[in-house]
Order: sequence, then C-alpha cells, then structure tokens
Amino acid sequence: MKSEMIFSGIGGQGTILMGKLVCTAAAAKGMNVTLAPAYGQEKRGGRASCQVVLSKEIGSPVISEADTILVMDEESFKDYEKKVKAGGTLIINSSMISLTTARTDINVVEMPFTEIATNLGSARSSNMVALGAVVKTLDIVTLEDVKEVLRKKMKPQLVDVNLKALEAGYNFTK
Amino acid sequence: MAEKVFMQGNEAFAESAIRSGCKYFFGYPITPSSELPEYYAKKAPTEDLVFVQAETEVSAFNMIAGVAATGKRAMTATSGPGFSLGCEAMSYMAAAGLPAVVVDVMRPGPADGDILAAQGDYFQIVKGGGHGDYYTIVLAPYSVQEMSDFGRLSFELAEKYRNPVVVASDGMLSKMMENVELPEKIEVENNFDWAITGAKGREHNVITTCALGPEQWEQFNLDLQAKFNLIQENEQRWEEFQTEDADVIIVAYGSVARIALTAIKIARENGIKVGMIRPITLWPFPKKAFDKYPDKDYFVVELSAGQMVEDVKLSVKDKERVEFYGRLGGISPTPQELFEKMKELYTK
Amino acid sequence: MKTVYERPKVLTDEYMKYCGGCGHGIINKLIAEIIEEENLAEKAIMIWPIGCSVYADRYFNVDSVCALHGRAPATGTGIKRALEDNLVVVYQGDGDMVSEGMAEIMHAGIRGEKFTVVFVNNAIYGMTGGQMAPTTLMEQKTSTSPQGRSADNAGFPVNMAEIIGSLHGCHYSERVAVNSPANIRKTKEAIRKAFKYQLDGKGLSFVEIVSPCPTGWGVSPVKALDWIGETVLNQYPLGVFKAPKEGE
Repeated sequence: MKSEMIFSGIGGQGTILMGKLVCTAAAAKGMNVTLAPAYGQEKRGGRASCQVVLSKEIGSPVISEADTILVMDEESFKDYEKKVKAGGTLIINSSMISLTTARTDINVVEMPFTEIATNLGSARSSNMVALGAVVKTLDIVTLEDVKEVLRKKMKPQLVDVNLKALEAGYNFTK
Repeated sequence: MAEKVFMQGNEAFAESAIRSGCKYFFGYPITPSSELPEYYAKKAPTEDLVFVQAETEVSAFNMIAGVAATGKRAMTATSGPGFSLGCEAMSYMAAAGLPAVVVDVMRPGPADGDILAAQGDYFQIVKGGGHGDYYTIVLAPYSVQEMSDFGRLSFELAEKYRNPVVVASDGMLSKMMENVELPEKIEVENNFDWAITGAKGREHNVITTCALGPEQWEQFNLDLQAKFNLIQENEQRWEEFQTEDADVIIVAYGSVARIALTAIKIARENGIKVGMIRPITLWPFPKKAFDKYPDKDYFVVELSAGQMVEDVKLSVKDKERVEFYGRLGGISPTPQELFEKMKELYTK
Repeated sequence: MKTVYERPKVLTDEYMKYCGGCGHGIINKLIAEIIEEENLAEKAIMIWPIGCSVYADRYFNVDSVCALHGRAPATGTGIKRALEDNLVVVYQGDGDMVSEGMAEIMHAGIRGEKFTVVFVNNAIYGMTGGQMAPTTLMEQKTSTSPQGRSADNAGFPVNMAEIIGSLHGCHYSERVAVNSPANIRKTKEAIRKAFKYQLDGKGLSFVEIVSPCPTGWGVSPVKALDWIGETVLNQYPLGVFKAPKEGE
C-alpha cells in the first residue's frame, strides 16, 4: 500500500502544511511517511513544494510519478503536469491557473480554491479546500483522519472554518 | 517503544544530540544546515545548553575542539563551503584526539554552488580534507530515523576512539520529514584521564600536536595510524538489501540509497535481479561487504561526478564490473531513472 | 639562610628554549609566579599558540592545550564556556593574533569572552625567522620587508590594546612592556589584575606586552631593550585603554 503525491505552489499558499497534515494523519495509522522538498526544472524564487510518500515500507523520498499532484500556481502546473502517473489525478487551482492540460490519461480536477473559501467566509482557508480535494483521491487516509489531525493541531477558534473548507474541497467532485 | 514524532532530519539530529548529553553547539549559519544551530539556540535556555554563533566556521570548529578537550560533548553543523574552512581543525582534532561531532549537510559545489542535495563532499570528508595523514569516522544516515540514531552513535564512536566524527547528510535528508523514534535522554559525565579540566589532584594534562623532532613526530604519526587501523578493523558498517540472489548490486549511501530502494523494486518487477550494499560508514569504507560477492556487477550511484566509486573499485575483485551513474547540480535522480539506467546497462 | 626567591613550582624543570634576550621567558615566568602566588595551579588552563611559545606547555605544571595558528581565542571560547570556573589564559604572539587570527581575537572581544589574553607583541615573526608582522614598525627591516616596511605595500602597524579596548565586550585592556625591571613589575601586576577580573566573571581581559626579539631584530639583547624604549613604544604607547569603572 503506497501513495505518492506532490504539493506545489508559492510561499504562503500552505503547500508544506498540507503535506504535513497528510503525513501526520497517515503516521497515526502506522504508515511510514516521508515529506521531502520538491524542485521543478528550475529552482525559482518563492517556490514552496513538497513530495509526500505514504507507504508500508521505507522507500524513495523522490517520486518518479505521483498518484496525486496539486498545483497552486501556473509555474507549478508547468513543472508537474507531466509527473502525474497515468490514471492519477492532477488537481488544479483554477483561481490562479488558466492553463489546461492536454493529457487524457489522468483525472483532472479544476477547482477555484479561493472562491470556494471566500464563499465560506475565510479566503485564508483556500489551502484546506485544496487539501480536501487531495484527500478525496487517497485510500490511505480518509477525510475523518485528516479532520482528527486538524482538531488536534489547529487553534480551537480556527478548527470549524477549516473543517468546513476541507469538506467543501472533498465534496466538490462527486 | 517510545512514541514516534514527525520531524525534520536536521531537527531530529539536534534533538537526539541534546538527549545524548551534547550541551555545546557552536556554529555558523549555512543552508541547508541552519535548522541545527537554530534548534540549539531555541532550546538553550530551557535545556541548559550553550549555543554560540561563531564568526566563521574556522572558529566554530576550533570552539568544539576546545570543548572536546575538556571531555564534554560538543558539535557543529555546516555545509560544503563551511566544511572546507573547518578542515584545518578536523586535521587538528584527529591528531590531538579530540572527540567532537560535525554534521556536513552536503550541497552541490564546487565553490558557492547551490543549496539542494549533493554528495560531492565525499573526497573531502572521507579522505581527510585537511593536511597530513589522518581520517575522520564518517557516518552516512539515510533516513530521519538514522539522523536521530547517529545523534548518539556519533558521540559514542568519537569518544571510543578519541577522533572527530563527521555525519554526512545532504540537502534532501536534512530537509525531509519522517516519523522517528527519538532516544531516551541521558546525562553524560565523562571523566577522561586525558581531559583538560585543571590539574587538581593529578598530574597536569597536555593536548598538543607539536613534536620536538622527526623521530618523536614519526612515532606520534605511527600511534595515530594504529588508531585508524583499529577503527578500520572494528567499525566498517553497512546494510545489505536483497544482495544474495542479485545479479547487480547498487552501491549508494544517504538519500540516494533511499531512491535506490524503490528502484530495486521496479527493477525486480521488470526481471532484473538487483540488490544493494549501503555503506553506513563512508570511512572506514565497508570493504568487507564486497568480499562476500566477488562475482557480481556493481552499479554505483552518487550525487557527484564519481567519488565513492573509487573506493568501490578498490574494494571489488574486478573493477571492470563497476558502473557509475551520477547527477550533479542538486538534482536527485528518480527511482524510474535509475531503473532505466540499469535496464540500459544490464539487459541486452 | 633566608630564601628570597625560588623558581615557581608551577614551572617544570624543562630548560626554556627561547633565544637569549627574548621576552617570552620573562613573561612565562611572570605568569607562573602569579599562578603560584594566587594559588591557581589547579584551576589554570593555558592555551598556547603557534609561534615561539609553541612548546611552552612543557614549561608549565598546569593543564595546557596548544591551539592551531591564530585560533587560540576560539579554542579558548570552547574551553571557558565548558569550564566557567577555571582560569583560562590565551597566550598569543603578534603573527598568531594580528595576522592569522584577527577574526578570532576580535570576536572573542566582541562576545566578551570571560578569559584572559596575554598578547606578546615583538613586532616580528620570531618562530619562522624574522618576517614582517602586521605589528612591524614603519621602515622596520625584516626578511619580507628587506627595504623596510612601506605603507604603500604593507600598510601600517596595528595597535591591538587600543582596538580591543574599544570593544564593549572587553573589560580590561592594558599595554605594558618587559624592557626594564620597573616595567616588568608593572607587567606582572597587569596580568594579575587581568586574572582577577576573569575570576570575577568579567568580560575579556587583555594584556598586550611589548617584548624584545633580539634574534629577529638582528641586534644584541641590550640593544633590543633600548630600541623598545627609544622607538617601539612610540608606536605602542604604554597605558590602560579599557578599565572597569568604579564599582564594576
């Protein structure tokens, strides 16, 4: 049992936090988790990306092709569109990315994270919307697992709004 | 079993060192090692630690030499350019018998270079780096768990042999996060008979690397060599993965060995029987590992232009059967990339 | 018979291998006397430099470390931080300190390290055979300034006691000389004071000692002492450049 994912965006978009939350949820279930820095073709200023491997066995922190890739900005899209495994999922932040992929061998989810979060009354929770969309693609951790982590790790006053954002992202695709 | 915590490699090493009784950290900030000094600086007030930000790596390395001379545990952490500056003191500590620990978080060089993962410091840390005939014990962790484990082992080995120990991390290993079981906290009260503590109730002690004449100095060097020979005999460490039935043995250390684990899986699924020898000590190099498999092909992978491969060639029966693949500039190969390379080399 | 003077027990029986007329022997002896008089032999840790005093560990019955060239203040930082209650004495020459180890001494002063630095300034590299040092006087001939030190090429002499004394981390800085019996007595008291400040837990205590190097200067021992009084002290005036204020 193994799941590999890449979260890529620019600083402040919360990509590393997302990776940490997924890892924490999977670790609580006894999985080996690895969160490693990820770099595109070039290292650009302000880039914040990570690759996450959840697995029974210890293995490579470097991902050849990921099951799920989340791209938060256009540069990330250009770097990582190609790295989605056939049959995997590319989740695109359509609030910031207007590019479209020509790939037909992958699932593509385009989701306006910022708009969804703003409608919930908290634009800053757009990364939790994104995280919900990622969790939807995973078997190893469930929505409830991640909710549990949020309840433990977040400041009490932030829990409710972030749980709502997480659910909105999770339920965006049917 | 203690609960596992999700931690970054650099921080896991620092926390483990603190729990292993290393109260002294002297360092100069350099990416990708800076979480180590930051961790010590943050914990200093509550854990009764001494943290000093040194003016240069030259000074940081000499400061830990000073603490080590008193018999207490001290460390620094740096990356390639800083390690270059520290090499003078590495030579000194190896000669003077000062057991300090240095983490070198390797990044791509030469010169200023970049801040990602690399292994191009191998020659420098394994072959001496500084002047004169000396070696330092070099440990190469490949997981955050081993970053933690070696936060203790490094001091134990350093003190056992009175020699500095280098922990060879890299920009991937130090920055990545995994769940890790940290060691129990211990108090360390060393009472070494050689330590500089003030000559109270004993003859005075001297730590010096100066001899008065060539005969004395040759003897000093022969004594040093005896120490290094003993380490080579006792401390070769490595781990094997699926070597018994392998046709091809990957030789890799650090984060590359992790990438290789997945590459081995892909290769075996595709009909190439691949195993791995993972050196855990880069010095002493685990020559003994290779004696067991004289008739296999070896595939050495490094984040360098080919440095450890020289030691592999010296350790195998037939150096013609050693192939090399390296990436430079801070690029880590993917497991698929390693498999493709092996397919090209070993399937005709 | 009354004993008026004895060799300090802090000194070993080893024959000091300094050149005739060299100031190091006097300064070594002063330090040994103070350690003995103040009953500090069990507390004292000497850190020796690379330079003419490189073998001084052989002359002292106290714990000693011989540091790398220029690095003694860094080594001393580690030792003093690890052994706060000991007396740590960093002994350096001018090549060691002012050239190779300028960063180390400056930052020891900047951080206010709580040890004592005994700085022996003889305006030349003695051990390596009389080359120019940063402290070499203008026009002074050495083997690497055979026409005399020129400002164009080598800049100007460095006044360490003033520089270190200007640092907030420095508690006490004085320049003394060992060119006469009176000055030798003043030197001894300066070192004693520095030790006291250290043991009181104050910041860096720094004693610069202008000292003769007849071999390096190419003159007789007596001439060397004269040259200090007539010339060297014009560049390196004696005095206190940092002293604790009343009640400090």
